[in-house]
Parts: sequence; C-alpha cells; structure tokens
Amino acid sequence: MSTATAQMLVPPADLRRVSASFWSDALWRLRHDPTTMAAFAVLFALAVLAVGADFLADNVFHWSFSRQDILNSYGTPNTDQPAMWLGSDQLGRSQIVRLLYGARVSLFIGVFGAVVSLVIGVGLGISAGYFRGWWDDVIVWLVSTLNGIPTLYLLLIVGFLFRLDYISLAIFIGALGWTFVTNQARGQTFSLRERDFVTAARVIGASPGRIILRHIFPNVLPLMIVIAMIDVAGVILAESGLSYLGFGIQPPVPSWGNMLNGASQFVTRGPWLVYPPGFLIALTVLCLYLIGDGLRDALDPRLRGAK
Amino acid sequence: MGRFVLRRLVQAVPTLFGILLLTFLLTRLSPSDPVALMFGDRFNVTEEQRQELRHNLGLDEPLPIQFITYLGKVVVLDFGNSFIYHRPVMQVIAERLPNSLQLSIAALLVGLAIGVPLGILAALTRGRLPDHVIRLTSVVGHAIPTFWFGLLFVLVLGVQLRWFPVGSMNAIGKENDILDRLWHMVGPVLTLSLGAISNYPRFLRTQMLEELSQDYVRTAHSKGLRGRAVVTGHVLRNAIIPLVTSLGGILTLLIGGAVITEQIFNWPGLGRLFFEALVNKDFPIVQANVVVGSALLLLSYILRDVVYVLVDPRIKVKA
Repeated sequence: MSTATAQMLVPPADLRRVSASFWSDALWRLRHDPTTMAAFAVLFALAVLAVGADFLADNVFHWSFSRQDILNSYGTPNTDQPAMWLGSDQLGRSQIVRLLYGARVSLFIGVFGAVVSLVIGVGLGISAGYFRGWWDDVIVWLVSTLNGIPTLYLLLIVGFLFRLDYISLAIFIGALGWTFVTNQARGQTFSLRERDFVTAARVIGASPGRIILRHIFPNVLPLMIVIAMIDVAGVILAESGLSYLGFGIQPPVPSWGNMLNGASQFVTRGPWLVYPPGFLIALTVLCLYLIGDGLRDALDPRLRGAK
Repeated sequence: MGRFVLRRLVQAVPTLFGILLLTFLLTRLSPSDPVALMFGDRFNVTEEQRQELRHNLGLDEPLPIQFITYLGKVVVLDFGNSFIYHRPVMQVIAERLPNSLQLSIAALLVGLAIGVPLGILAALTRGRLPDHVIRLTSVVGHAIPTFWFGLLFVLVLGVQLRWFPVGSMNAIGKENDILDRLWHMVGPVLTLSLGAISNYPRFLRTQMLEELSQDYVRTAHSKGLRGRAVVTGHVLRNAIIPLVTSLGGILTLLIGGAVITEQIFNWPGLGRLFFEALVNKDFPIVQANVVVGSALLLLSYILRDVVYVLVDPRIKVKA
C-alpha cells in the first residue's frame, strides 16, 4: 500500500473525531453553549463578589454592613460616596454593602441546603429503588407525607420554634426539600436495576453495596447534577421567602430576603430598596435554571438536538 | 370510578396520619414550652397555675397518650379554642377558608387561561419570534420570587400609578360589590398564578412538540386534514393530558404561596391567618391550619388523579 493511499485513509484534522468519554463530551458541549456559559459567568461573578464582601466593604465602600447612620436614613441613591450608590435603608445602612453580604448568605445557604437535600434524597431514593419491599414503602410514605404539607408552613413553624442561624436554616430547608430528588433517584434506580449490566454484576456475586456504588450511582449522577442546580435555586427561593416573612435569617445579618422585609414595611419611603434585592434573587435563580437546562442538554444524549 | 375514588381516599389515610404525627411532634418536641407560649410575657402566672394548666391540657401525660388524645379530637375537627380569638379554632378557619379558595381557584383558572394558549402558540411557532419570546418570559417568570412580584405590583401599580388597590378584599362600604372584589383580586391572583403562568407554556410546548413528531400526525396530514384540525383535534388532546399531572406542583404553590401573597395584599385568608397566628403564638390555630391546608392539598391531589383518569382513555381503572 502506497503512502498516498494511507494518507487518504486518515481524515483531515477538522473531520477527525477524537473518541471522547461521556464526561469530556459533555464538557465540550457545555463550552459551546453560549447561554449556559453566560449564566456560569454571571453566577461566578456574584460568587466572587460574595466571597470578597469583607474586602470590598473595607477598601472600596469604606462602610461595614452593620454601620448605621440614622440621620441619613432612606438616602436616595447618589454618587457622592460609593457606599450610597444604591441608597441607604431605614437605618441609614449602605444598601450596596448589604447586598454583597446578602449574596454571601443566599449563595451559601443555597449550596449547602441543596447538598443536604441531595445527600438525603439520593441515599433514600437509590436504596428505596434498589431494595424495594418494606423499605420502599416507608420512603414512599415519608415522601407523600412531606409533600402533603405545604412546605412553607413547615418552614415557618420550624423557623419560629427554633431560632435558626444560617447553617441550621440551610440544614432545615434541605432536610424538608429532598422529596423531589428522592422520587427522581428512585425512579431511575427502578429501571436501572432491571438492566442487563446490573443483572450481570449480581450474577458474578457483587454485593448490593458494590452494585449501587459502581453501577447504579454513576448512572443516576448525571440527572442528579441537573437537579442540583434546580435544588440550589429552590433553596435560595425558600430562604428568601422565609427571611422576607421575618422567620429566616435574622437581622442584623443581611440576606436578600430580609432586606426586602425591611423595604416592604415602608414601600413609599424607599422604593429603591425594593428593586435590587429581588432582582439579584431572580438573576441568581435564573442563572441556575439556565445552567440546569444546559447541563441537561449536555448530559442527556437522548435530548440532544431536541431543542 | 367510584371504587377508584374510594381507593385513593383510603390511600390518603396513612399520609394524613403522617402529617398529623409530624405536626404533633413539631409542636411537642420544640424547645419552647406550650404553656409558656400560651402566656407569653403577657401575664403574671405562678408556677402552680402553670402546672395546673399543663395538667388540664394533658401535657403531663406520656407523648403517645397525648397523640392519641390529639387524634381523637382531630377526627371530630376539635382543635380547641384560639388563644387570641377565644373561639373554637374551626369556626375561625371556616370563616377564612372561602377567602383563600376564591384566590386559589381564580389563580388556577387564570394560570390555565394564560399559560395554555401561550404554550400552544410557542409550539406552533417553534424557533420563530413568538416562541423565543414566550420561552424567555416563562423562564424569567419562573425565576422571579413570588413575594418580590407582589411587592413590585403593590409598589408600581398600586402606590405609584394608583391603578389597583394595594390591599384587602373590598373598598370600604363596597363589601358586596362583585366588581370591586374582582378589582381587588387582580394583584393577589396574578401573584399567586405567576408560577402557573410561567410553568404551563414550557410544559405544554414540550408535550406538543413531542406529539407533533408522532406518526399519527403524519397520517392525519396525509389524509388531507387541515393543519388546524390536526392540532386541535389530535395533538392538543394528547398534549394536554400530562398537564394534569403537573397540576400537583401548581396546587402546592397555590396553597403554600397563599401565606406570602395574602400577607402582601392584606387578604384575610387562611395563609394570613396562619402567619398572624404564628406571630401571636396562637398554636391551636397554627396546628389546625396546617392540618386543613394539608387536607386540602391531599384532596386536590386525589381530584387531580380522578381528572387524569377521566381525560386519558389509555388508563383503565382497576377497581
């Protein structure tokens, strides 16, 4: 065979398809999805601002989040000093600095709460779907019970009875919000455990723990990553709603929700206090949903091109 | 059909039991003492009187006994007297219930009336401008927190432009004026149905696109059926069925979201009653409210399942 034919057999560089693993393929798809990347960028910027809240408050705005200036309460937004770019609240505190700290609280609770609900939900869902029997009955009963109570009612009662700091609040929201994850994980496990590769593993004598960890879990994971994004958004919405009603994060610690609580009490005095916190909540949640959508498209081969 | 409804009702019993157990435990295992909650800081009460009250309320009994007593009372809808209103709790709840139902039923209808046409439009104009606009607004609407939407409504359309009333159910002196009531309902109903309005189009669009790619659509077209007849006669009928299952999530939003919406718009319904009772430490009302809210939710789930069976001929009821 001449070298010319051998060269012809090798496709030109731009047509060559490198064999890609599932994850690197998904990553490639994500990188070429402008909406998702934009949402990532916005969320990343918010996270950086949240982490750098202390630094920014000290060095840029020269105003701590709890510093009050009663004489200048309800200051309209102005450019005289950086701390007053977005005006001041009923106690003369800097709105923009409080928004930064609020980002920290909201994002932390969102991520931490979602982790709690995912750990509980995936654990219960996979075990219920795999072992079935009475264990499954118990889980289904728990899920239907929790779904039967309006979640906000439960959260309000818990928030009232136990004075919550932001860690316990995140745990509680996560501990009450795992039913959706459980249902999804359980459903997936149901169909996975009947598949041939699981039967094969069982036939060789693999233990249930090994089958779950090595065969079921990796296949449930992609869906769970998508749900994680929706979950973070859900926890952020729950926290802000709760804090808005005055039962979540307690002042003086600012969260986007409790800032709106303060703003809503005298809507007419400081309308500019109503827009930014809600906008940031909506923006964060929107980015999370968009990332969730993007991840779903990237991770689920069946949905490709279905847009 | 009757047996199907009956079976669903029986299936709801363990769930209801779980809900009662949870509400019971929440109030009993809390670090706060119910007797202390009852008195708050309002009265000077001696330790003896506290003990006596604890005994009268049965709080000195073991927990399982207390729970059984509680169950026995719930079965006959006896939640005791409200600490604040000094009337039977169920009386207070029964007064507020119609106000909440008005809002949630209206919100459900508005959500369907706006969401379904938008979903159809998006599916039919797939990839073109209306589709993009509808998809964008529905994902944004989904991300907006309910309470912020309500606040903006009050601030912009109520306070600044004065187009809509900012709260309560009626203008003073117009308590029986239906038009005035509808006028007052615009804000809370829109706020409450925001979730449905932004969810339905996305959901219905996906379902319609899926149905549009099915073989029977091509068959209908090749038989010479006009496009509109295919959509309304075949596609829509099948696409709308899964919408019924998504009602469940919406119902949760409606009943749970009522707390926030009624609070913002000063609407005297169950949600606001719950919130006020919690702030005033009126625990009998809180407990009864959770039980009634949950019972409503369970009932609406059952209703949803019944509707599902009615609209989907593929499901045969095994009775």
